[in-house]
Amino acid sequence: MTGLPFDPLFAITFESFTDIEFWTSVGILAGTYTILTLGLQLNVGYTGIFNFGQAGFMAVGAYSMAILSVGPNGEGAIVDFWLSLPLSVLITLAFGLLVGLPSLRLRADYFAIAAIAFAEAVRLFALNARSLTGGNQGIFGFAAEWDSVASTVEGWINSLGWSDPPTLFPLLLLVWIVAALLTVTLRWLQETPWGRVLRAVREDEDAARALGKNAFAYKLQSLAISATLGAVAGWFLALNLNFVNPTAFEPIVTFVAFGILILGGLANYYGVAFGAIVFWFLFEGLRFIELPIDEVQVASIRFVLVGLVLILLMAFRPQGAFGKREEMVLGD
Amino acid sequence: MATETTAVERPPVAAGDGAPIFEATEVVKHFGGIFAVDGATLDVRERSITALIGPNGAGKTTFFNVITGFYRADGGSASLNGTPILGRPPHAIARLGMVRTFQITKALARMPVIDNMMLAAPDQPGERIVSLLARPRGWRRREHEVRAQAMELLEMFNLQPLADEYAGTLSGGQRKLLELSRALMARPRLLLLDEPMAGINPTLGRRLLDHMQRLRAEVGMTFLFIEHDMEVVMGHSDRVIVMAEGRVIADGTPQEVRSDQKVIDAYLGSGTAKEGGGNGG
Repeated sequence: MTGLPFDPLFAITFESFTDIEFWTSVGILAGTYTILTLGLQLNVGYTGIFNFGQAGFMAVGAYSMAILSVGPNGEGAIVDFWLSLPLSVLITLAFGLLVGLPSLRLRADYFAIAAIAFAEAVRLFALNARSLTGGNQGIFGFAAEWDSVASTVEGWINSLGWSDPPTLFPLLLLVWIVAALLTVTLRWLQETPWGRVLRAVREDEDAARALGKNAFAYKLQSLAISATLGAVAGWFLALNLNFVNPTAFEPIVTFVAFGILILGGLANYYGVAFGAIVFWFLFEGLRFIELPIDEVQVASIRFVLVGLVLILLMAFRPQGAFGKREEMVLGD
Repeated sequence: MATETTAVERPPVAAGDGAPIFEATEVVKHFGGIFAVDGATLDVRERSITALIGPNGAGKTTFFNVITGFYRADGGSASLNGTPILGRPPHAIARLGMVRTFQITKALARMPVIDNMMLAAPDQPGERIVSLLARPRGWRRREHEVRAQAMELLEMFNLQPLADEYAGTLSGGQRKLLELSRALMARPRLLLLDEPMAGINPTLGRRLLDHMQRLRAEVGMTFLFIEHDMEVVMGHSDRVIVMAEGRVIADGTPQEVRSDQKVIDAYLGSGTAKEGGGNGG
């Protein structure tokens, strides 16, 4: 290639490309988005409700965990870190019910609007309620107890013969263990009579109601469960950065999760993990392509390329990686 | 007064002369200024096969939608087994034992035929998340029963070979049969059928009618069905209720209704009866 009359248009910087710390962090992000998107799969793929507010539930989960464990604005813990985890899930569950009760009676498209409005309301509240959330300074310092567990885990890994694992390796393990457990649980749920009613609601709400199923109650349950998955994803987002701030919960988070959902395929839980891994490794990998343009432009180009991949996917494999083509064709 | 025009002599009926299982009184439903159902009063007797007929636009399907809770009534009352039902949500009415089918079939397209059937079974504890987790044995046992019942019904309507296919791949007639057998899975006491014969072949239609007779005899099921095929109506129902312009205009045995002048007028258009009567509306 040295004989080329011009400089190569782009190249890959192998130094950062092989940075294991960096890719561990990307792996955690992929795991976090797997959990987040599992909730969307339950809503969109199996219940037919277009939850565009998933980032909002993630924010409620992350913030309530942080606030409970270090106090409003970091002024002293309200509860122990470990207790803050289940409590934050319960709080987010309550938010799910609160959002769903008035808005799930709306038609699908209006619900989508209501959901995104909820998510933005949460984010803007977090940005402005400084005495509670620290505003755009965010909250940090809640991960000490996790860190001590993580160093124990690191000790085990060392004793297994890997002397120098990446710092975030224990978190990577945990997020993927949780993601795997949740995937298996949700898959099991889908095969039960309960899951069958959800699918019936997705197919035709009126038919389900005519057969004695309370479609609204099932949509509400679906949204509430999805909200709790958002909360769990929120924990990992917070622990990955050891920091919670409002910019982490912009609507783009939900849109990325939808992208992952489509990439992996609708109505398939395994597709979610696949979509999340492909998306994040593609997206972060594109960071290392050197183009003769400045960094801000590279950052935008990454979105363009990811968009391109999604468009090509829609054109050639609309059902996504794991979705069933028959289901695409039969949909209405 | 509405009562004057809807008052109908009601001679005793040969079959299904039990007490009314369903009663509707002065049911009203309007869309803006159009009174789709305009004071309909009727009852359905237990163990009867009652046909609801009338010209297009008479309000039959709207009446179904009102009494099954899909539309909110603008007036009147209705009861099933003495329990008032207007104002209740559709799923609650279905659980009281009144199940309906739709004129335009609602097959759950991206679900297998067998799942369509099993969905309809009542009393499945596994549909509630608490008992799903707390008593896995109970709902698993129920699933077995329900699957066997579903296969039996599918066999009856020649749908058994399609059990594992997506319902969306079925033909129009097959969907009609699926919707019907699905409604039967729900074990209703009163089954409302909106044009059950439309689009299915005569042999299967006959089998369906025979099955209705058998269900009535064996489990005491009651049927109210909207139908345009007069041969079916006259040959297979023991009572016929005629609607026109949102009201019940006649009610009796097929023979009585057949010769009722009001019914003939409604079907042929009242203009014909009052020929030269200055129908300038």
